[in-house]
Amino acid sequence: MPTTYYLILSFFLFLIGTAGVLLRRNALIVLMGIELQLNGGNLALIAFARELGDLKGHVLAFLIIALAAAEAAVGLAILVGLFRGRQTVNLDEITLMKR
Amino acid sequence: MTFNLRLIPLLPFLGAAILMLFGRKWSRDTVVAVAAGAIAGSCLVAFDAFFTALPLAEPNGLHDTVGTWISAGPLKIDLAFRLDGLSGLLCLIITFIGFLIHIYSSGYMEHDPDYPRFFAYLNLFCGSMLVLVLGDSLPVMFIGWEGVGLCSYLLIGFWYTETANADAGKKAFIVNRIGDLGFLIGMFLLYQFAGSLNISEITTVASTGSALMQPLWGSTVAFWAALFLFVGATGKSAQIPLYIWLPDAMAGPTPVSALIHAATMVTAGVYMVARMHAVYLLAPAALAIVTAIGALTALFAAVIGFAQNDFKKVLAYSTVSQLGFMFVGVGTGNFEGGIFHLYTHAFFKAGLFLCAGSVMHAMSGSGDIRIMGGLRKKLPWTHAVFFVCWLAICGIVFSGFLSKDSIIAGAMSTEHLGDWAWVGQAAGYVLSLAALGTAFYMSRLYFLVFTGETRASDEIKHHIHESPGSMVGPLVVLAIGAALAGFTGLPGGLFEHPTWNLLNDELSPVLGPEMEVSRLTEVGVMVGATLFALLGIGVAWVFYGGGYREPSRKFAAAVPKLVKLVQDKFRIDELYQFLFVRPIKRIGNFIYFFVDRILIDKIMVGVPVALVDLFGRLSRLVQGSGDGQRYMAIFALGAAVMVFLGTQPDLFGSLKVSVTGRTVEVDARRGGKPGGRALEYSFDFDGDGKPEVEGASSTARHDYASPGSYTVHVRIKDPRWGTSNSLEQKVEVP
Amino acid sequence: MPEGVSGGDAVVFWILAAMVVFFAIFTITRKNPVTAVMSLVGTFFGLAAMYATLSAHFLAVLQVLVYAGAITVLFIFVVMILNREEVTPLSFRPMRVIGVLAGFYLFIKFFRVVWVDMAIGPPAVPSESFGTVSAIGDLLFRDFLYPFEAISILLLVAIVGGVVISRSHQKEVAANRAADYRKQIHELSSHDYPGAPEAPAPEGHH
Repeated sequence: MPTTYYLILSFFLFLIGTAGVLLRRNALIVLMGIELQLNGGNLALIAFARELGDLKGHVLAFLIIALAAAEAAVGLAILVGLFRGRQTVNLDEITLMKR
Repeated sequence: MTFNLRLIPLLPFLGAAILMLFGRKWSRDTVVAVAAGAIAGSCLVAFDAFFTALPLAEPNGLHDTVGTWISAGPLKIDLAFRLDGLSGLLCLIITFIGFLIHIYSSGYMEHDPDYPRFFAYLNLFCGSMLVLVLGDSLPVMFIGWEGVGLCSYLLIGFWYTETANADAGKKAFIVNRIGDLGFLIGMFLLYQFAGSLNISEITTVASTGSALMQPLWGSTVAFWAALFLFVGATGKSAQIPLYIWLPDAMAGPTPVSALIHAATMVTAGVYMVARMHAVYLLAPAALAIVTAIGALTALFAAVIGFAQNDFKKVLAYSTVSQLGFMFVGVGTGNFEGGIFHLYTHAFFKAGLFLCAGSVMHAMSGSGDIRIMGGLRKKLPWTHAVFFVCWLAICGIVFSGFLSKDSIIAGAMSTEHLGDWAWVGQAAGYVLSLAALGTAFYMSRLYFLVFTGETRASDEIKHHIHESPGSMVGPLVVLAIGAALAGFTGLPGGLFEHPTWNLLNDELSPVLGPEMEVSRLTEVGVMVGATLFALLGIGVAWVFYGGGYREPSRKFAAAVPKLVKLVQDKFRIDELYQFLFVRPIKRIGNFIYFFVDRILIDKIMVGVPVALVDLFGRLSRLVQGSGDGQRYMAIFALGAAVMVFLGTQPDLFGSLKVSVTGRTVEVDARRGGKPGGRALEYSFDFDGDGKPEVEGASSTARHDYASPGSYTVHVRIKDPRWGTSNSLEQKVEVP
Repeated sequence: MPEGVSGGDAVVFWILAAMVVFFAIFTITRKNPVTAVMSLVGTFFGLAAMYATLSAHFLAVLQVLVYAGAITVLFIFVVMILNREEVTPLSFRPMRVIGVLAGFYLFIKFFRVVWVDMAIGPPAVPSESFGTVSAIGDLLFRDFLYPFEAISILLLVAIVGGVVISRSHQKEVAANRAADYRKQIHELSSHDYPGAPEAPAPEGHH
């Protein structure tokens, strides 16, 4: 299939991820939305890597996977800590950034 | 020819693993049975390999390849073992003496609660030492090299609850690391220039010479490789300048001192030099350095031995000194001589150490020779064994006699040192002096411990008893070895019966023919060395026969500072402390205070935190809800706005219009610069909605039919982004 | 159907694309977090298969191992800790809807730019070693060594951070409280008054 199709799919995945991040109340699902966004980016990188015949795209995707692992680990740890302190992961109730 | 050589190291390893896993739950007898059984099995296999299989396998020896260990590009290292005359002899020494010491330890360590751990380490050591000896390539050898280092550390610090013991272990480990670095560098050099790490391949390359004779750093590759490997040897075999760890290593249990720090591990350096003899023979300068270091160490350590008051410390410096002898042997190209002395030394020094253990056992654990004396009658067996070993190390009749003479005679008449032949001769004289010293300090030890009256307190005296059979048995076997081992290496040249030199039969296929020594030199050295030894014993008798005599007191009173200096081992430890340890500690402290505390903790951590805090405080002033998702939504909106603005062809642009008569020229180019984007322009000059000019050109001209006021509409499209802008301007046509 | 594309390829692509999109939408719309995580796994598997069709074999394997394996397990664990269904999972506050619409606008724009300009045609056939472990490893350990090391440090920091953040502080609080108590007792006992209680030995000395 032409790279175009993969790119469109990757954009769409990113859009779905963004919608998840913006609209969900559950912080856990928000993190999943971020994972979807990262995967959308990865798909674009890999599609372009094949288009250009350049493996650097794969390397970048590899690094992003590692980054996503780190992000998930810290993000989930924060969630657990948050839950322990406030007994909720509802983002509507967590407005700590203004204080 | 292949042989199941892997069994030799594998059995002790298995024993160690089993003891570490289950030893704690087993009775002492079971533990000893497993440990000694493992080493006995290994010993039997080694004997079988050496005496049955090896004679059929000449000249390349026995091989056993377990598998490929490292394979990376051109580098391929097999986990392979090789047994020839040289490694086979060492295997016999290790497994046989190792077995005896296991038996001895079963009695010596009887009351120690950590019995299983001790035997597990001992087995682990034997396995590692066998890997070192049997390894077919330098990296495999290095596994064993590091393995014995580890076991040495573990066993020196065996009674780790006392800080001094743990510190001694650390010292041994760290000093050995310095040597190991040299070993590694030597290995890298050989790999780079010889293209292989396999010992037989390196030997082949070295015999053709050219690859290792390339110039490097002002000398040849062979010189540097040999020198760096020797740095490793000085660490492991306790030579100047890295000998300082061995005397401290006596903190370990005495069987350990006998096995590791006298008979086997410390001789690994000598073995390694002999193993790599092809490389060393290419570099006479390196050989001369080995010889010089060996001779200096031999004399220096012997002198320190004069004034030590701890039984094991005397023996430790004696070991350092004897290792110096061996290095002179291999350093003068007299590899058989060096290995011969290694072999006889293993017997008599192990015997001496085990006697020390037996004596300390009897003296309620004290090793201070000042309170001993008169033990000849109380410990008859120990005394007999010590007597034989004492004569052996002094070089009178028994095994030390022939091996020591072979080294000195070889040094006197070496031809391998080229321009540095004088180093060999000088080393010969230095060694003769060292032999005199050896006779003196060993006789001092003998007289102070075994003759005269016991100087200990009554309580200790009351407890003095001969050791149990499990300890005496190995002692007797070692004494027999110490007495007779030397006769396997009768100098063939002297008697014109080359076949009498049994040792040479095994070693010469590996190390080349025995060194040619003229009969005059041989006899001269023999007579001279015997006289020197008798002189040493005589002086010792005058000073210490039957206890501290008048001359020794007078001497100590006459030059107290000298005696103190020797007693303090010439304060070399303090010198190193001053030269190396303290500067390193200071650098460490500096880095800790400056880099860690100030640079990292204060500046690199503090400053960003302060900045983030500042920006946080500032940005909080303009913050709204504190709702993260809302911020993200605004972020997305911002991105959309940016894309919207960025993809417009020319949102806030204007037209340049120039009127010449009735001709109007319009330029819609943005900012007057050539745009990088492919845009489409359509120009409508008369306002009828139909463009007069269309195309990729940003300029157009139109001739109006009649004067008047018109409006020019320009539509700019970006086909790629699907965006368009309209621009318009009024034109007055005259 | 664009030229140079076999029907089989297209069918595989469309099936996978449908799967990915379906599961992705499922992920963000489910009330139950467990269902969401499972849908996420479905997305990851679909993407892994898609990577394979893009000759990215190594990354396909990695996607399954790291995403569908490790990260998902992490999510599941956290779901187990804080599993609660929501009554109203979605919050349609105006600003957020605007944000989603902005995202949609971006999607339309990008869609157009790749769709209209079909210059990105069917790609060349990649070389034999394209996407293999050895080719990527070569690149990773030569040209991208520093980024690689940086990402490994990042992972290390993330591990430490995860431990520090999620660890329970109850013991420390208790220890501090005990220390305060001991200090008080000590201060009291250092005043010489009748019946002063004896200072308890500091902990750790038994």
